[in-house]
Order: sequence, then structure tokens, then C-alpha cells
Amino acid sequence: MTSTTSRDSAQKPRLLESRRVLTLILLTAFVWSLLNLDWTTGFIHSGGIDAMGEFAKALFTLDLSGDTLTSAISASWTTVAYAVAGLTLALLIGIPLGAIGSGVLTRSPWLRVTSGGGTRFSLAFFRSIHELVWAWLFVAAIGLSPMAAVLALAIPYGGILGRIYAELLQDVPDAPLRSLRSTGASEWRVFWYGRLPMALPDMLSYTFYRLECGIRSAAIMSFVGLGGLGHEIRISLDDLAYHQVWTYLLFLIGLVVIVDVWSTMVRRRLSE
Amino acid sequence: MALLRTREPETLYSAASCSVSLAAVSKQYGVKEAILPLNLSIDAGERVAFLGPSGGGKTTLLRLLSGQLETSTGTVCLCDRDLSTMPTGRQVSQLVGMIHQQFDLIPNLSALQNTLAGQLGEWSLIKSLVSLVWPMNRDIGLSALARVGVEGIAYQRAGSLSGGEQQRVAIARLLVQDPQVILADEPVSSLDPARAGEVLQLLVGIAEEAGKTLIASMHSVELAREHFSRLIGLRNGAVIFDLPSHEVTEDMLHDLYNLQGLRSET
Repeated sequence: MTSTTSRDSAQKPRLLESRRVLTLILLTAFVWSLLNLDWTTGFIHSGGIDAMGEFAKALFTLDLSGDTLTSAISASWTTVAYAVAGLTLALLIGIPLGAIGSGVLTRSPWLRVTSGGGTRFSLAFFRSIHELVWAWLFVAAIGLSPMAAVLALAIPYGGILGRIYAELLQDVPDAPLRSLRSTGASEWRVFWYGRLPMALPDMLSYTFYRLECGIRSAAIMSFVGLGGLGHEIRISLDDLAYHQVWTYLLFLIGLVVIVDVWSTMVRRRLSE
Repeated sequence: MALLRTREPETLYSAASCSVSLAAVSKQYGVKEAILPLNLSIDAGERVAFLGPSGGGKTTLLRLLSGQLETSTGTVCLCDRDLSTMPTGRQVSQLVGMIHQQFDLIPNLSALQNTLAGQLGEWSLIKSLVSLVWPMNRDIGLSALARVGVEGIAYQRAGSLSGGEQQRVAIARLLVQDPQVILADEPVSSLDPARAGEVLQLLVGIAEEAGKTLIASMHSVELAREHFSRLIGLRNGAVIFDLPSHEVTEDMLHDLYNLQGLRSET
């Protein structure tokens, strides 16, 4: 007995030390990687500085011609449509799988482990593959159709939403739930009357954040050729038409800001 | 099946009430004796308060009575039925209901929804879900809120209400649940003194009116003496006294809370 207690007391400082050792290793690796960079031949390729200067200058000579604006608006619309459709499908995946994966719908420990574990595994599978990889897979499978973009967004986002929802549903304060149970409510009713209402504001604000990410992802995904802001940006970059690139980028920033303002408004209304 | 009742909306609650008895009940947490073996019987319609220092066993005893905790030895009987043999959930909820110091409402639901949640054990899942959007049996909920004097805030979020209002809504939920025995764990300890008196008066008044058995743990000796007919002093998991309120003397209360005594016993 005495040996275990002395080991326990020795555990703490040792843990701290091992953490310091890890920090040291990481720092060393960082410094070593810096030393290994080839600084002599130039960090940026020749003409790179000029290109960047031109790119920065282009911000002040934005292309606001009718043609560019129309194509920016229509590309923005495509991007938003992909993001919203993708996120809607992601919600259909994330809400039920998150609820099952959180294991809060049943009191049976056996069911909790099997259904919860299985669901969590599939959620992990969905989100561990990046949306660009999914996009590539779907484009290969069904060609350059909007469906490919929407599915490519929906699957990893469903995995992420499901995982976060599961955690939020688990982390709800327990006392109000206990008093619901004492009215004879089953776990399903406790879910609808206690867990979901209490977790909803956080779930909603996370969903809005994901919509923001979805817009960015949808823009990037259209680099693959699926239409939208990313597609336009790539074409303009290929033409070295930086003033057009900036117009599209500003539209992208605008979309993200609009989602941000909207989510703030909704959250304020929920918590009033 | 004898436990199933029918209820008219206008009467709000049934007049059913029943006795509580504990036979050789004890509770241990690991090696700690939370409740030493004790026998206790409480008649239908009685109003009993547990008094005593924190950690004396008041809350543990209430949780044993509500079936939230299992006894280490002995049996708890509600309405002459062994609590441990009853399936948890719906049947128990018709016999015993509990309110807590911290109200424990769902903050994002309206006062009315919280009140109606008292019927969740009786509703089908479909009815419960529909009721989230369109409250069902609204009249029962509203008359329960009216009975506790807060019908005006029926559609406000529970989280936005004051402490006193929240505890009234919790009492309204209990009315809707309509158990035969009401357990109250320090029901007014988190309210200011004026509000505490009012809310306790309300709780006791309702129990009296419907003839319900009311068992509460109380922090305030004065309020307990004023509102309860029988006082039970608990310390270190043992009953120190069990007397009608008017027979409890200052000396007994002094001994109950005396720190010196506590130290010598532990």
C-alpha cells in the first residue's frame, strides 16, 4: 500500500516535467526547421515582391464594371446556394446522429455504448475527410454537377455538426433534467423538454458559424470547377486581372459579414 | 391500475393523499453512514419538516423517499407500497413529486410549458412534442399558474423570472403533476425572507387544501415552526427528536445545532 501512495505523490511533478520536456522538443524542432530553410536563394521567388505590390495596388483600382458586378452577384448567389443547401443536408445528418451519438436518449448502458459508439465512429469518418477530397470524389463519381458540391459540403459538415451537437446535448445542467424525470418523463421527453431547449442557443450559434465556414468552403470548392466565387477568382487570377480578383474577394467578405450580422441578431432574439 | 386517476380540469388536483413509512432504513456512501437505521411513519395529509445542521441527513432522507436514491437497508413504503419494487418513472411520479431549492425549471421554455411539463409522465410522446409548439391542456396549466398567483407571466421565459416567481412556477408544475406526497428540499432557502414566507405559505396552503402529505427539509427554524405541524430533528444521520411543533423547545433546537455536540459525536 505504501508503495502505491508514494508513487502517486511522485506522479504529479513527473507529469509536469514530461510536459516541459515535450515543450522543449517542440521548440527545438521549430528552431531546427527555421535553420533548415534555404534563406540564401530568397524566400519569395524573383518578381514575387512586384506581383504582390501589383496585387495590393489593384485594391484601389477595383473593377466595378457592369459585367464583373453581374458575374460577381451571380457567382455569390451560386456560392450561397451551395453553402445553404450543403448545410441543410448537414443538419439532416448532424441533428439525428448527434442526438443518438450523445447517448442521452436511453437509460440502458448497453444501448448507449453500442448505438452511441457506432454513431460517433461514423461521424468521425464523415468529418475526417476534407470537403475538397469529398468534392473530388463526387466530381469523379457524378461529374461537375451542383449535386457534387452540395454533397461534398454536407457530409463533412454533418460529421462536424453531429459531434458538436452531441457534446452540447451532454453538457446541459443536470438538475433541471432530474426534476423533469421526477415528473415521470422518459429520456425522450427529457430530451425534447430539457436538453434540446437548453442546448439550442449554443447549437444555433455554432450552426451559424458553420454556415460562415460553409460559404468559404463553397467558394474554395468551386476552384475545382463547380462554379461560384472561387471559380471566378481562379479565372481572373489566371488572367492576372487582380482588380477583378479583389471585387470577387470583397463579395466573399461581404457574404461572411452578412451571415455574422444575421447570427448576432438571431442570438440576441433568443436570449432576450 | 388503482393508481390511475381521472381528473377534471376545473378541480386541478385530486384529493388523494397517502402515508409514508420507513422501516429500518439506512444509507451508506462508501464507509460514511449518511442515515443510521431509522423507523419513521408519516400519516396521510401530515405536514412534516426535517430540521438540523447541513450534512445531517435531511436531503439524503428526502431523496430516499423520492426513490432517487436506493436504500442500503430497509424499505421505504409510499401508500403501503414498497418503493423499490415500483417501476421508476410514471408510477412513482403519481405518488411523489419534489421541488428543490434551485427551482430547476427549463430556462428557455415559457412558464406555461414548464408547468405543463408536470404531465409529461402521462402524455404520449406525440402529444408532448405537439405541446412544445402548441401547448396542450392549456387550461390546466393556466389554472395552476393562477392558483400560485403568477398567471400573468405564463408566456414569459422561465429564465427571465425572479426567484420567487420561478419557485411559484415549480409549485404550479407540482400541482399539474398532482402527486399524493409532496417532497420539498429547502424550498425557500434561496429566496429573500419576505418572499420565503409567502411562497412557503402558498406551498403549505395547497398541501392543506388538497390534503396532500408534505415533507420538507427546512433551513429556517422559525418558518418550520410556523408552517409545519411536526418537526423532526436530524443530526449525523440520526433522529434527535420527532415531536409536534409546539412541543419542540428552544433547548432541543439549541442541542440540535450545537457545534460542540456535533464534534463530540463525530
